[in-house]
Order: sequence, then C-alpha cells, then structure tokens
Amino acid sequence: MSGASDESRSLRKFLRHKPAMISFVVILAYVAVAAAVILGDLVSVEDCERRYGPKSTPGFGVSQLFEKRLQDLSWYAEQIEQKLALRQKLKRRLQSRGVEPTNEKIEQELRGLRIGNLRPADISAEDFQIRLDSLWNTVAELDEFDDLNNPGSDTTTIERLTSAAEGQMRSLYAEQTPAEARHRNLHLLFGTDVAGRSVFLRSIYSIRVAILVGVVTGFISVAIGSLLGLAAGYFGGWVDGVVTWLYSTFASIPNIVMLMVLAYMFRGGEIDAWLNDLTGDRFGWLIGGTLDETLIPVFVAFSATFWIGPCRVIRGETLKLRESEYVQASQVMGYSRVRILLRHILPNISHLMLINFSLLFIGAIKSEVILSFLGIGVQSGASWGLMIDAARDEVLNDFFWQIGAATALMFGLVLAFNILSDALQDILDPKHV
Amino acid sequence: MTVSTGNLIRPKSPETPSVALSVRNLSTSFRTDRGLVNAVSKVSFDLHRGESVGLVGESGCGKSVTSKSIMRLLPEHVTRYGAESQVQLDGENLLTYSERQMRALRGNRIAMIFQEPMTALNPVFTVGWQLDEALRYHTKLNRTQRKARVVELLDMVEIPNPDRRYYEYPHQLSGGMRQRVVIAMALACEPEILIADEPTTALDVTIQAQILRLMKNLQERTGTAILLITHDLGVVAQTCDRVVVMYAGQVVEQATVRELFHDPAHPYSRALLQSIPQSGKKQQGKRLATIDGIVPSLFDMPDACRFADRCDCRQDLCVTDLPPISEDDDSGRSVRCHFPVSDSSSTRSEV
Repeated sequence: MSGASDESRSLRKFLRHKPAMISFVVILAYVAVAAAVILGDLVSVEDCERRYGPKSTPGFGVSQLFEKRLQDLSWYAEQIEQKLALRQKLKRRLQSRGVEPTNEKIEQELRGLRIGNLRPADISAEDFQIRLDSLWNTVAELDEFDDLNNPGSDTTTIERLTSAAEGQMRSLYAEQTPAEARHRNLHLLFGTDVAGRSVFLRSIYSIRVAILVGVVTGFISVAIGSLLGLAAGYFGGWVDGVVTWLYSTFASIPNIVMLMVLAYMFRGGEIDAWLNDLTGDRFGWLIGGTLDETLIPVFVAFSATFWIGPCRVIRGETLKLRESEYVQASQVMGYSRVRILLRHILPNISHLMLINFSLLFIGAIKSEVILSFLGIGVQSGASWGLMIDAARDEVLNDFFWQIGAATALMFGLVLAFNILSDALQDILDPKHV
Repeated sequence: MTVSTGNLIRPKSPETPSVALSVRNLSTSFRTDRGLVNAVSKVSFDLHRGESVGLVGESGCGKSVTSKSIMRLLPEHVTRYGAESQVQLDGENLLTYSERQMRALRGNRIAMIFQEPMTALNPVFTVGWQLDEALRYHTKLNRTQRKARVVELLDMVEIPNPDRRYYEYPHQLSGGMRQRVVIAMALACEPEILIADEPTTALDVTIQAQILRLMKNLQERTGTAILLITHDLGVVAQTCDRVVVMYAGQVVEQATVRELFHDPAHPYSRALLQSIPQSGKKQQGKRLATIDGIVPSLFDMPDACRFADRCDCRQDLCVTDLPPISEDDDSGRSVRCHFPVSDSSSTRSEV
C-alpha cells in the first residue's frame, strides 16, 4: 500500500460517510452564503435595517387573526398615504424652487419610505384618492364588528370584507413582476421583526458575521497559540517561562469579563482616534469606519483569550515531541533547530491545530452570539445574538419567528460542524479501520 | 534486485588502521540543584578506521553520556566538560566546536542511531522523504541523483522492493525494517564514525541477529568505524573487535573481544561475564552469579577504586587509592585495577 492509496482510501471513506457528506455540504452552503454576502453584496447592512412590511408579520404567509390583518392593511394604506402626501409636498417645493420635479428626484427623496421592493401604482393622484376612499370605507364597515377575533356567526362576512380590503390595498401598489413577487416572498419568508425589518435577510446577514468571527478568530488564535506553544515547548528556558506565565495570567482572568473589558475598550472611540493619529487618518479609511462599526473588536477580544487552549495543548505536545527519538535523530543528522521545529515537529502537531481550529470556530460563533445578546458584541448590522436579544419581548407575545430563525440557523451550522469533525476523526484515525 | 554500489562506497583502506576518533580524558559533569555531578570522568579510548568498538557497562555507568558528549548532544547550559577533555577528529577537538560546526559534522561525518526504531522515524513523512532530506542537507546531489542514492541505500540495507518502500510511511514497516531504514539514514552520507546506542535492544533476537549481521557487512563494505553502545555482552562478542568496559563513569578495562572474554583483567569484567546465564549440564542446578551491592551514588563517589565495595578480591589499597589506568601496551590493552586478575582458569572460554 503506498501513501497515495492511503489518502484516496480516506477520501472514499469520507464520501461513503453519509452524515459527514451531508454536514460537509451544509457547511459549504453556509460558507458560500457568507462569501456571497461579503464579496457579492448579497445582503447589505442597509437591507438589514430597512422595513419590508408591517411589524411582527409571521413567516411563510401563515394566516393571521382578522384584527392583525386589518392592522397590517391599514399600515400599508397609511404608508402610501404618507408617501403620496410627501410626494405632493416635494413636488410643490421643487416647483417653488423652479426645479422640474422628475420622478427620479422625488423617488430619491422618498427612499426612506420604501417598503421592500413595493412601488406605488402608476396612476394619477385622483385615482389614488378614489381607491383609498373605497379602502377606508371597507375598513369602516369592518370596524362595526365588535370583536374581530371572536366573530361568531359572521366569519364569512368578515372574511369577505377583509379580503376585499386587502385587494383594494394591493391595488394601491404597482403590479409586481413574478421575479419581484418571488423576492418579496423571500424577504417575508421568516416574517418581520418589531420594526418591520426582514427576519430572513437579517438572519442571512448574520451568517456572514458568524463565519467571519469563526474563521478569523479561529485562525488567529490557532496561529498565536501554535507559535507560542511551539516556541515554549521547543526552546524551553526563559521562553517557556514567559509563555507559561502569559497564558496562566490570561487563563486566570474570567473569560467573559476579559471579553467585556476589551469590548468596552473599543467603544469610546479613543482607540480609533489614537490609531488614526498614529497612521495619519489612514486607519479609519482602511477599515471603512470606526472600530466598533466593524467586527475587529470582537476578533481582538476573542483571539486574546482563545489562543490559550491551543497554546497549552501544543506546548505539551512539543515538549513530548522534543524528546522523541525522531527529533533526536534529526538533531543527530545535523539539522538546524529551525528546520527541526518547522519540518519535523510542526507537521506532527498539525492535527492538533486542526482540532483546535474546529473547536474554536464553534466556540467563537457561540461566544459571539452570547456577547451580542449581552449587547457588547456586534454593534451594527445583524447577528444571531442581536436577533435573539431583540426577540426577548416578542417571545412573551407568542411571536417566535425571529428567535426561531436565528436559533435554527445557528443550530444547523454548529451541528453540521460537530458531526463533520466527529466523522473526520473517525475517518482519519489510522487505528480505526 | 541488485544495484551497483561500488562507485559510491568509500573503498576500505588497505593500510594499517589509523585512528578515526580519539577520546582523551573526557569528563562530563552536569550542573544540578545539588551541585556539579560528574557523570563521566577521564574516559579515554581510540576508535580506529573500520573497527568496531563495544562500549559496555550497566545502566547509568556513563555509556550514553559518553556517546552524547562525543556528538555534543547534551544540553549546553547544564553540561560542563573537564578542562583537559578532548574528543579528537582529524586532530581537532570537537568539544571546542561551535553548534554550527557540529551541525555540519553530525550526520555527515559522525552519525548515530538510537535504540528505539519504532519511533526513530518521523511518522508524517515517507521513508524516502526522510532519507532524501539527509542527502539534501549534507550533499550537493540533485533530485534524480538523490532518488537513485536513496533507493540504493534502501537496497544496501537489504530492504526488499526499495522502489516501492520509498513511498511508504514508517507505520507501514516492521520494527526490523525501520531499524534498517534508520541505519540507511545514518549511512546516507558515508560517515567515518557511526555511534550505535543499543541499536538492537528493542528488537527480537532473530531480527537482532539480522541487524547485527547487516551492520557488520556494511562496515566491511564502507569501512565505517562503529562505536557500539550496549549492555549485552552477547552482541559485543558477535560484532566487535575491541571492548571498552565502563563502570561508574570510568573506563575500567580495554581489551580485544578475545582477550576480554577469555581473560578479563578487571574483577568487574570478570563478574559481568560470570553473571551471563549459561546453558548446558555444567551449570544445571547452580544459582546464577550476581554482583553484590550497588553502584556508588554520583553525588558520593569514593576517592578510591569505585568498584572496591563490590569487589571479591578487595584489598586495603583498593579503598584508599584510586587505581590509575594501566599504560597502553602495543595490543591496546589497559585496566584500571591495583590487582588485575591474571589467571584464566576461573573464566569460561566462550559466551
């Protein structure tokens, strides 16, 4: 058996291992989405903050109580009324300034009132007024019912009237192309939160945050930990003393307190100012904003504490390997210390680096969620932690779409990763045939 | 499969054996919390070209410290060498060499193999890669030359299918195979001196015999001087030309194998030989001879004969004065004893 066939056997084993394959595909999907968000601007921060519908809409178009349906359609109607009124005002203001009021100019000004990709119907102001009046009439008719939620025998009437009102409401907005309709359904897939923002888009954007935090902190922590661990284990003496002192000190500080201190450190903006002074205002330009608008504080805070784990493990392993016969043999072969460290010891601890990376990846994602939930993690944009935090009050009102979406996506990623690392251990373990 | 090795192997010099390595008054001490500990004191012996010398003694007698001192493998910051200590290679004292100079020497002119073949190879690289590395580091051969040389080396240590073994990982080889690879690696750069630290202890006797025979054959072909460190007198009898017996950090006897086994001069050597289990009718029902007592502590070494406490023929002088090592006569025989044993009647004629 040659080495090549050994590797292909592992590959075959992996391909045959169904849970491993499934979780691998799932992780790839997450990573692909994250890449699309980061590189392809699939979901922007603005998309996360924009209103896509009335507040607290359930997902999957689940039918609601009549009262809520009435509230929602009134909300849509009010939005368009506001929009029309504003449009008139803007038109007049532009005309008084002697500027020809083009539609683009007005739409630009009205961007704040956009509801997802819904546009007002392309009709005259008079037609709008007529359609609005008939809508309000139907709503008034509905208002005569005492209790919409317990309609008793009048269910059919109320249903008829509500559907009619919804139809009239829709006639105020432009007909959507099938593509636009699909998009709108997707935006409302998991409903909206209390501010009318799309839960779906927010949870997708959170994948970017999670993967970034996992990969970056995992990578940095393992890199620092391996470097210090290798140096401490191999060179011993004062190097070992310093590294051991460092990680003992760091380990003695409660993890979460340390993270909070670091997170708060970056909040005031003093560090931004100092760094900008140092780099001639290039720092803000480089990271595109201030520090707490980015994920950098989270990376720093996590990496500062997470490197301890890999460092300790790798130091121990290096201590063991340093005395191993093959390292002594390479010494006897006259190889330099750097060569022995990098060519002979490093490959033998690479499995530890991998294992620690996968542990830290999951750990960082979970910590990010907890920290954001506490309000000191991610500051802008969206993250599963922020969503779960925001969903606290909603859950009390039996509204679970936001917390459900955030938790489900996080659960999927963590579970897939755990299954994969478990399976990989089975597959790559030479003792396990 | 046979590969011609003639052109790459250094021809054995036909002239009289010259000294390859000369150890003179080697004293090695370690700095410890309890003060300076003298592990090896005033060890002297020569290693001639093409010769095998066995360095024997019980555990803790300083065999390994001696060999590691020669290779300068001991941790520098706790190790002190005596002022007049010398390890001479081509007239230069290795103890004064810098780490860089030593690195150029190790693996190239002096090679060493260890006891444990199971772990002596790096598990993450192929056998071929590891042999190739040695050549890459110490020679100027190009890739194809190196590959050919590695296959040739594997063939030389009698590994079947060297072309295929080149691509195998250490875990795919048996213990004997691995030790062969280790030997191949040590011999890759045709060293003048090979230090073998108990190379066969971890192997079973069949493989042990094979490996020893292989080393002997290779030595005949390459002319490498071998310093064989062992506590197994059987191994010494089988492979060595001369023996250096160490006790408590000192050389107590130096002799040819034949002399030592037939006529050991030092009481310790004699006691060692007597404590080898012997088969045959003569020995039936007899208790195996042992050496009473223990080796004196390194922290409390007597200023007299270090073996005196355990010696059968101890006399007053033995507990007061340290016996000098007797002068080398032409045969290279010397002994550190006030009253060397001279009659051969009490020893056996074979081992």
